[in-house]
Amino acid sequence: MNVKIYGEGASRVGVRQITPQIYWISHSLGKDAVKFNRGFAAEFAKANPILDPEANDIIYSSYLFLDEKTFLIDTLAPSQHDTIIEALAELLDGRTLDYLWISHTELPHAGNTAAICRAYPEVEILTVGGHDHYEVHGLGNASKLNYGDMLDLGEHKIEIIEPLFLDHALTQWIYEHKTGFLCPVDWALNVHNEHQCFRFMDEMEDVGYSAEQFMEEVSTTNRVVFAWLRWADPDQMVAAIDKFYEKYDIKIFAPSHTQVITKDLPKYLGALREAMHKAITGPFNIVY
Amino acid sequence: MIKHISGDLYQIGESICGEGGWHEAVRVYVLLNNGCPLLFDAGSHIHSEEILTDLKDLLGQDKPGFVFLTHTELPHTGNLSTILKHWPETKLVVSSEILPHVELPWWVTEDQVLYGYAGTEGEYGGRHISFLSGILKDQPGTHWMYDQVTGALFTADAFGYLFPEEADNQCDDELNEGIPIDWLSRYHESAFRFLPYVSADKLIADIDKVFEKRDVKIIAPTHGNAIRGDLDQCRSRFNEMMQEICQ
Repeated sequence: MNVKIYGEGASRVGVRQITPQIYWISHSLGKDAVKFNRGFAAEFAKANPILDPEANDIIYSSYLFLDEKTFLIDTLAPSQHDTIIEALAELLDGRTLDYLWISHTELPHAGNTAAICRAYPEVEILTVGGHDHYEVHGLGNASKLNYGDMLDLGEHKIEIIEPLFLDHALTQWIYEHKTGFLCPVDWALNVHNEHQCFRFMDEMEDVGYSAEQFMEEVSTTNRVVFAWLRWADPDQMVAAIDKFYEKYDIKIFAPSHTQVITKDLPKYLGALREAMHKAITGPFNIVY
Repeated sequence: MIKHISGDLYQIGESICGEGGWHEAVRVYVLLNNGCPLLFDAGSHIHSEEILTDLKDLLGQDKPGFVFLTHTELPHTGNLSTILKHWPETKLVVSSEILPHVELPWWVTEDQVLYGYAGTEGEYGGRHISFLSGILKDQPGTHWMYDQVTGALFTADAFGYLFPEEADNQCDDELNEGIPIDWLSRYHESAFRFLPYVSADKLIADIDKVFEKRDVKIIAPTHGNAIRGDLDQCRSRFNEMMQEICQ
């Protein structure tokens, strides 16, 4: 596995190449996960024994496109402000950053917007159109994109698409037409242990992971991430997923909180579909 | 602007004007609490100066004991640095579901953070604050909180509303006919974009459970003014709005 790691603990960032022009820049805690994340995996495993009781780590991802124009998806969290700047400087190698696209404005996704603007003062910030009161989200100067808008990077054509699953209102997904790269932001979300950091999904299988485990994890985590699913109709949501899969030919599945999937897409996309049905019909831990 | 709501509960924080003159409030609620003030949310970074001035006027020599964060989005945490710079001993109380190393500013230290667990009650400066799940929310680590003394339920983004300028800082009982459905609808449609996918009846049933379980006298949304007059009217309009937006 070829990964370059910057920093440690809360600032730890790893960089991997997905295609010649697309890089995955992600944060994982590694051995410090149990301390920082307060050991949630043991609780998950009590509820569902198939889950790994030592998988206390969550991925936080950015993606960088190096085309005629350079394009960054999300910023990682404030704790990684130094390391993402260091990683970007090395990857850009003297080039400027043309675009920073904010998938949504939560701190783990947008927390270093100001730091990146300081490092690359000419960067154009891109965010969701059709809303109001952007100043309180720190996006007063951002350019607004609407569903269906296309961004031409050179060889890569980024389409702004409507999210199927979202929490924050200022959320968009993107699909890149040349590579079949989909960034569905918070959708999916699996966990990993300290020996599995920075792996692509097919490399997870080398250490005993499986699509079945992915399905079980996502069904558990997505009840937390999208708590509104308890009010949704499972058949309607699955039908919406099927329609989405028909519309977009996904070849690189690159969410914010999941190992990047570049192989066996049908197997994992099928597991994801099943996970969402299971998430909606399963028990939600709500305290009234 | 400092506004007295009820008992020792005050509302500060500003609003911003958007398209068509529709304002969105970003409030901070303050319980004076006999010299150990409790703040609910920190307000927006764009209102730092006004919030600090209001806090100094309202608190006098007292220092905020605790800032309870409903969740960690910028409109709720953006002013944290100003508050903690001025009163560095103030503690933060966050939902047990958040992961501070990615959801709080990097300069917040471990010993500044306390966790509120849904279903529990804690004592803060002698005041009992209870925690429950964020029922309607736009971020996973959102919790709602309840103060038994004033009967205030702090609902984060839920029950927010947009309003015209003349209604800024006016509670529902200071408006001729309460908060119109249209104001509630403008906010909720924009803030909770998943609503068209969900059942209104199920959502309303969940909200009802919260109100059945405790004596709520005030609803305190971050993006609106405190609702303290006719709560039945407000909830009825909220339900009607949900029937229109949801399935």
